[in-house]
Amino acid sequence: MELTQYLERIRGGAKLGPSEEKGVMSELKAHIEDRVEELTGAGLSEQEALETCMGQMGNTKLIARQIYEAYSQGSWKQVLLASMPHLLFGLLFVLNWWHYPGWLSIVLVLILAATAYGWTRGKPTWLFPWLGYTLLPVLAAGIFLLYTPTGWSWLALAFYIPLALWWLFHIIVQTTRRDWLLSTLMLLPVPIITGWFLAISPSGKINEYSIQRLYYFAPWIGLSFLILAATIATFIRLRQRWLRVGLLAVSGLLTLTLVVYHSTGRLATPTFLGLMLVMWGVFLAPPLLERYLGRNRRTTA
Amino acid sequence: MPGEVITVVSKHDLIKGSSSSLLLSLLERQPMYGYQIVKELETRSQGYFKFKEGTLYPALHRLENAGLITGTWEMLPNGRQRRYYHITAKGQAQLSKEKLQWQDFLAAVKMILEPGVEPA
Repeated sequence: MELTQYLERIRGGAKLGPSEEKGVMSELKAHIEDRVEELTGAGLSEQEALETCMGQMGNTKLIARQIYEAYSQGSWKQVLLASMPHLLFGLLFVLNWWHYPGWLSIVLVLILAATAYGWTRGKPTWLFPWLGYTLLPVLAAGIFLLYTPTGWSWLALAFYIPLALWWLFHIIVQTTRRDWLLSTLMLLPVPIITGWFLAISPSGKINEYSIQRLYYFAPWIGLSFLILAATIATFIRLRQRWLRVGLLAVSGLLTLTLVVYHSTGRLATPTFLGLMLVMWGVFLAPPLLERYLGRNRRTTA
Repeated sequence: MPGEVITVVSKHDLIKGSSSSLLLSLLERQPMYGYQIVKELETRSQGYFKFKEGTLYPALHRLENAGLITGTWEMLPNGRQRRYYHITAKGQAQLSKEKLQWQDFLAAVKMILEPGVEPA
């Protein structure tokens, strides 16, 4: 195995943020160079020295896992920041403030501001739950376009949908390049929000009837967002990756079950199965995409 | 600690459990970079502490994230860079606490292994 390949395996498995990655990889490289210099000085060839050194360094998977665990646990400040968007949405519904345009605007501005701040400050882990909610204004704009005069709406949607999908795909690829688990973290509310949307508006159109149902379901909608907030808080404090994956899977499925249970009769079994498929998509698409991107990177390298 | 429940542990577990004390103890004497730490541990323990070198860095970074040590990059005359680790005040306090625990532990072990000898 070549040195670049060895380091690339560690880099790929450690899944560090850009601010930490450069330092950690430079340090490992410097260590290997020191050891190789010593071994070649003792009479070994360059290749023999490199192989001996990589053997002494240890298994790439083990090193990557230990580096991941050294950096994965976030502070309590990060816990608060990461769970904040879910908390805000949870409170909007629990307190029944969702119908006040003022509160909705404040939450929306906060989401955009926090996302822009995090995106330009090295994309820390707390950014990704916020990033997921920036999809909401995009979705809202799409729904709004449906209500423009006929003819215009289809023309607008024909441009809007590909643009929105391209933007979404771009964000997911960017996030998955770092760690597929962050994409899952970002997309976790999607099946939940879709489920509640179908529960309040089975026909897909928003009218007086759906507003009444939204009032009725508001406490449960709030609760599902609060569960997401608790999930994210736990996620940030966990070090082990397998525990993080398990937590998101269990919490996602439990919250989805809550959605279906409290809208019995309004969400039919096929809809539930559809939502389960979306949830599986949220969990399976990012690792598959990461695999594809990794293979592509190796081919082009 | 009196009354502590102990289990039989392997040499690997003993080293793993004492890694923070060992690293802090070395850095207390002088700031060092990773490769230097590996060599120093090996020399001073006469080869007893020999481990997979790549796993040293996660251990150092854990100590750094806990605020017990700090790392600074330094440029060498040959243009290469090295990251030197320094012990912090918090790290000194932690080391003093761990040293006391080790002394108690060693005294207790000695009382079992050498029953007739009074602990120093």
